[in-house]
Amino acid sequence: MGEAQKTVARETLIGKRIPKMDAPEKASGRTRYLHDIDLPGQLHAKILRSTQVHALIKSIDTGAAKRLPGVHAVITAADVPWQRPIGVAKDHLPLKTGRVRSLRDEVAAVAADSVEIAAAALALIRVEYEPLPPLTDPVEALQPGAPLIHPEPHGGDGGPQLKPGGPVAYTGKPDNVAMTFEYAQGDVAQGERESDAVVEDVFRLHYVTHCCMGVSGVIAEFDASGNLLLHSNTQVPFLHKREFAEMLGIDPGRVRIIQPPIGGGFGSKLDIYPFEPIAIFLARATGRPVKLVYTREEEFEASPTRQPVLLKLRSGCTRDGALTFRAVETLHDNGAYTSWGATTPFVMMQTVSSLYRVPHCKYRTRAVYTNNPYAGSFRGYGNLQATFAVEAHMDRLADAIGMDPLEFRLKNAQQPGEVTPQGMHFGTCGFKECLSTAAARSAYQRKRLEHASRQGDASPLKRGVGIASMLHVGGGAKIYPSDGCGTILKIDDFAHVTLITGASEIGQGSETVLAQLVCEELGLPLSSVTVVNNDTDITPWDVGVHASRTTFIAGNSAIGAAKKAKDKILAAAAAKSGRASGDLQLSGGFVVTPEGEKLFELGKFLRSLHFSDKADLVMTTFYYEPPSHHQDREFKGDVSAAYAWASQVAEVEVDTRTGIVKLLSITAAHDVGRVLNRLGIEGQIEGGVVMGQGYALTENLIVEGGAVKNPSFRDYKLVTAPEIPEMDISFIETMDGEGPQGAKGVGEAPAICVAAAVANAIHNATGVRITSLPFTPERVYRALRGKLEAPVWNVPA
Amino acid sequence: MSGIERYAAPRTLEEAAELLSAGGATVFAGGTDVMPQANAGRLRFQKTLLNIGRIAELRGIGESNGVVRIGALTTITELLESPLVRGRFRALWQSCDHFASDQIRNAATLGGNLCNASPAGDTLVPLLVLDAQVVLAGKPNGTLATRRLPLAGFLTGPGRTLRAAHELLTAVEIALPPAGFDSEYFKFGTRPALDIAAISIGLGAVREGRVLRDVRVAFGAVAPTPVRAPRVEAALEGRIADDAAIEAALEAAADEIHPISDIRASDWYRREMVRNMLQRMLCDVREG
Ligand SMILES: Cc1cc2nc3c(=O)[nH]c(=O)nc-3n(C[C@H](O)[C@H](O)[C@H](O)COP(=O)(O)OP(=O)(O)OC[C@H]3O[C@@H](n4cnc5c(N)ncnc54)[C@H](O)[C@@H]3O)c2cc1C
Repeated sequence: MGEAQKTVARETLIGKRIPKMDAPEKASGRTRYLHDIDLPGQLHAKILRSTQVHALIKSIDTGAAKRLPGVHAVITAADVPWQRPIGVAKDHLPLKTGRVRSLRDEVAAVAADSVEIAAAALALIRVEYEPLPPLTDPVEALQPGAPLIHPEPHGGDGGPQLKPGGPVAYTGKPDNVAMTFEYAQGDVAQGERESDAVVEDVFRLHYVTHCCMGVSGVIAEFDASGNLLLHSNTQVPFLHKREFAEMLGIDPGRVRIIQPPIGGGFGSKLDIYPFEPIAIFLARATGRPVKLVYTREEEFEASPTRQPVLLKLRSGCTRDGALTFRAVETLHDNGAYTSWGATTPFVMMQTVSSLYRVPHCKYRTRAVYTNNPYAGSFRGYGNLQATFAVEAHMDRLADAIGMDPLEFRLKNAQQPGEVTPQGMHFGTCGFKECLSTAAARSAYQRKRLEHASRQGDASPLKRGVGIASMLHVGGGAKIYPSDGCGTILKIDDFAHVTLITGASEIGQGSETVLAQLVCEELGLPLSSVTVVNNDTDITPWDVGVHASRTTFIAGNSAIGAAKKAKDKILAAAAAKSGRASGDLQLSGGFVVTPEGEKLFELGKFLRSLHFSDKADLVMTTFYYEPPSHHQDREFKGDVSAAYAWASQVAEVEVDTRTGIVKLLSITAAHDVGRVLNRLGIEGQIEGGVVMGQGYALTENLIVEGGAVKNPSFRDYKLVTAPEIPEMDISFIETMDGEGPQGAKGVGEAPAICVAAAVANAIHNATGVRITSLPFTPERVYRALRGKLEAPVWNVPA
Repeated sequence: MSGIERYAAPRTLEEAAELLSAGGATVFAGGTDVMPQANAGRLRFQKTLLNIGRIAELRGIGESNGVVRIGALTTITELLESPLVRGRFRALWQSCDHFASDQIRNAATLGGNLCNASPAGDTLVPLLVLDAQVVLAGKPNGTLATRRLPLAGFLTGPGRTLRAAHELLTAVEIALPPAGFDSEYFKFGTRPALDIAAISIGLGAVREGRVLRDVRVAFGAVAPTPVRAPRVEAALEGRIADDAAIEAALEAAADEIHPISDIRASDWYRREMVRNMLQRMLCDVREG
């Protein structure tokens, strides 16, 4: 404890601008990512993927590859008869047998002395295919007689070669429907009868992908006793540990996962993907550590995408602006296998049923198999798609009844205390404040009228404003049996804190915010905390980074452990000083009285506990489980301990000669519960807005005939620096009673309603409503000339 | 693996030509096309990787007798920094200004851009407007021979030119245009930076009062190679850029371009953009 800090007065850290703890390492290039780690004796792996969109595998000849000097193992499905299907539907064998279903399909893999030798070996593998009719249109997937992607397995054609009584419960599917979701509340027909205005549209949402700077990768290694050690970029180490163990038929206790610093996740590292078990198979086959890291092209071609969705929405309201009903049907293209991303309807139906108050609601999704790329989970988890449709209709209905769109939204917006028909309890809800703040700060109402009145002017440049809002879980999401997180906390003899948390850091800044919450309890500066968060043999259980949950769940858990430590210290201090422990506090590195009198210097005091007759160390544990509930079979339930809200106003300029849409500004108001780290939350919102901007305007993974046509940053257009709009960000602090220091989750929120707001802004600028994304210049130009084909709902019932 | 057995980095044109005559060499200048194409499997390395980057004779920008010679190894950055290019070849300078990113501009060479012969190659369109010639050198029978070709004839298709396998492109030559000649390059991409042209337009002319003389128009990314548009030029030659002349030019342009659909744009959209952007450029000319 330095001299200077002894005199520091108790001062809150909450709401301060605190740089990320890992920033100096990252900015100076010292951070060691997976790419930088090389283990002694390590081999390099590469995967041979299918050259066919859909085919039977007739034969695989690995002879020449095996003979290439420097090659240590070449494996196919035949070498790992014990492999098991992975994924939420257990429909995905890591190494394919019998049939390939997409161009990503893993047919063989090589471990060699170098990446170059591994690549050369791949070129020597001969695979003979018998092409099958490809299925690349999800609508076709539902037609009678469509090619089946996962037919019931029978000799040589199909999924895993199952022996009766074998370990794998994979049976194939009689049709191409992977999953269905149906939800209803009230009576939509009655809602329609009560409506004065009804609108219906079909929306088409496209493929985008995460574009993490850190591509997918893993290093797998077995020790001499057969224990598995993975260096992995996963977002969900504890769930994966179990799945890998099941796959290998070993005790999960023998699987250890270490996460090096991760170069971004955004949901892309939520599932297990075939490359991970494949690296494990190769490590087992060679007895050496095996490293497998994707190339950037591979990352584009063989990592997950956001779910492409065709969505039909019908909504109604009364003349005086009360929503009456909403009916949604969607078709999701799963690609060849089912990932967690197929469960995005959980989130989508929440937006449909509960962003605004709607008495009658119906929702149906079918997720179908095709031979397209495998869609996964992605920041926002279906909510970008649902919000795009719902917010377009809020504008259209307002127009239909001649009401100001802001007023219409305010009239139907959720408020605190509401329990929605879907069973969500909105304890705190700053939705109306979000709406009015974003609208006021952007002069939305005035500008909307002005811009609309200029649509017919001679100038080719048109301006418009659009508003959209979002609801997302902000207090975890109870999808798994538990949504909790554990913390172990120790304070050493020098008052240095080690915070051991189950929560993973994927660049979102969780380390910093967790350290901050602990320091707030213990009255210590941030420099006295080390966060340990990357080793399943050390850290307590956590369900993973997803659902905007880490600050909320891991934060509450960290506070719980810190409070226990504080109680213990203060009780000892009370005994020693003869005061009541309730009278004492920790502040500035001291035990102090309410008057600010410094009783003990903390380090010294801890040493006195340690080196006393009753020798004791301060070490605590805490497990936080949020008071949320699983949904029932009808998808009803209060799945999150808190809900986040936001409204964003976009202002755009549309060049009618080219269709180029320039995003001029985003005025955002977010109900975040409470700002913990102002710098961190601003960064989170700015980054999310830019991700939403990419979804709205530039990003488009072009998939034709099952193939990705633009697997490079030249042709897959991320937003570049000059395109980033001005941002005005306001925080609505509703002080959630369950949140850590009142905070709610905010990770996904900022990306969710940007595209919806931009769509409404383009409409305000030009009078043209575009119901498909992205708003690339050509699409917008076509729409302006009446030459854009609107999406149609031609999906078989 | 790569298939490269030998790496050579000659210091003279003679040596390089010698190596090329032996056959089986891949010419490597800045590598900004070679490397991505090799990685994507669209280019197979020959046995010899011939790095021409050390040949001093292929560098430099200079003028003599009214002809400007730009060495093939001149980088896009060097073109941008050249007062001569900026002062006399405005369209060429603009094409460099809209070329890729700083990192790429520092490595990418003019010769590479021409030999890569992309229909969307940015320097090609202004060089067509400037009536540039390419200089090729080779040693087919033991002695170094040089030939000159007009750029328009040199480009024969996407990625194809009249350069023989044993030749290097050594320089580009541009006769200084007549006094009063000004040129303009417009690149239409879908974002403000780091984009490949969806269409591009080069326009050059001498303005005598309000009348346009010596009109030269070229288009990029709307045909198998960047092309001159003689009928558009004829529609404008000797005329004032009034509504009628502009309309005639736009109609001629529609006849002279043959765009295709690819991941960057559809043929229809390319046509529309040529029309709207040419119109915009000509209106700017009219307004002075
Ligand atoms: C990220 C990125 C962005 C890009 N953006 C643009 C852009 O905006 N506009 C644009 O026009 N291009 C762009 N390019 C393409 C490329 O940078 C240019 O075509 C560049 O001018 C090529 O020059 P180089 O020296 O790198 O050529 P190299 O890659 O070295 O060579 C290109 C080809 O020409 C041959 N070659 C090169 N020099 C000679 C010579 N002197 N004689 C004979 N043959 C030769 C090579 O064998 C090869 O076939 C981009 C490329 C990348 C990677």
